[in-house]
Amino acid sequence: MKDIADQEVIDLEDMDVEAFNEFAAKQGWSDGMPLYIPTEAKVAKFVETVRGDNRPYPPVPPRQIVPTIQALAANAVMAGCKPEYFPVATAAMRGVLDPDYNLHGTLATTHSCAPMVMISGPIRHELNINCGSNCFGQGWQANATIGRALGLMLLNVAGAKPGEMDRSTQGNPAKYTFCFGENEEENPWTPYHVQRGFAPTDNVVTVMSGEGPHNLNDHGSTTGIGLLTTFAGGMSNPGSNTIYGKGPMFVIIGPEHAATLKRDGFTLDTMREELWKRSRVHLSRVSAENLDTYATTGHKPDGDWLSIGRSPDDIHITVAGGPGKHSAFIPSFGGTTVASVRIAR
Amino acid sequence: MRIYNPSFGLSAASAEKVTLKPVNWKTDAIALISNSKPNARELLMGVREKLGAHRQVENIKFLAKNSASQPAPKDLLQEVATNYKAALLALGD
Repeated sequence: MKDIADQEVIDLEDMDVEAFNEFAAKQGWSDGMPLYIPTEAKVAKFVETVRGDNRPYPPVPPRQIVPTIQALAANAVMAGCKPEYFPVATAAMRGVLDPDYNLHGTLATTHSCAPMVMISGPIRHELNINCGSNCFGQGWQANATIGRALGLMLLNVAGAKPGEMDRSTQGNPAKYTFCFGENEEENPWTPYHVQRGFAPTDNVVTVMSGEGPHNLNDHGSTTGIGLLTTFAGGMSNPGSNTIYGKGPMFVIIGPEHAATLKRDGFTLDTMREELWKRSRVHLSRVSAENLDTYATTGHKPDGDWLSIGRSPDDIHITVAGGPGKHSAFIPSFGGTTVASVRIAR
Repeated sequence: MRIYNPSFGLSAASAEKVTLKPVNWKTDAIALISNSKPNARELLMGVREKLGAHRQVENIKFLAKNSASQPAPKDLLQEVATNYKAALLALGD
């Protein structure tokens, strides 16, 4: 008899959800939270939703197997997705398979990174994806389960088993799920997917291997430059991966902060320039041992300063969230890229 | 009931088969490759010193990736394939 791991379809005696979850945990399929049962009938419904994307998947590192669409759908079913969410989850999977995303490195690292999934375009409203208050938090099925589906795909298809292939020192709650929508309606600049060359009517998923959101609280500043001073101070972190493993980062501006910055004439480019200049880390905040290591691995300071990325272009900016004087900084793994993929349906 | 296996996949058809040639550990050139994390170089220096008790060490050389988080660049892989019969990797962490 073939080992269960080698079977695409598995015959099981009928069992309830509790028994299935015990079985799934034994197979190593679980993220620790309850799973739905990926029956043939449920998987078939999900597969029907992705007829617009017939391209084969490349081998998925680190495990280097070529996934079937049914295996990906099984993970989305288990995550609690509705069938109509599945094209978003598969687009996210294509994003993390961009070679420059460095999936192997981001899954195997000791760093705490998790795949950040941001959704742009009209599909946010069709699927009721939260872009406003508490957009990084709980309470929305689409946000919760699309991010979770990608996490389960990376666990089961890519092989990122915690403590085995996934060597993260402490992990990160965002590894359960990290999915939100852009607040395009309150973005006074250009929606992120349009910044990336897509049409406003395109539905796009953007992924980056990031830490969880770091809060940028500023209730006091009433000017754009005041807000950017606070943002840059929060970004200036000698413990960030990007101080030596140069790479991208996101600044997700809350709508109230965005309105102030727009009123004071800031553009995406001028905000990037200001944040770049002001977020540098002074050498007095970096240990001698780390300075030695950076010097021997080609990460030399610029005068008395270390930058937290390669250039202002590493700072990706958009708007999400609801009322309140908060924004967020999401640093990346470092050796990775931001990948944006059109959702095919 | 019948379920789909969430971990199922097909083997990559393009996987190349590699034929390993025998290595003479007493004489062949060896690359000691660091992933550039702290202490990787120190670990490899210890390996080289230990090997020195059994063989010549002039053709045992240190190489390094620029970034621990990125795959080895093609030119480094080419250098190892061209000039060495064996490579020992140190993953400092």
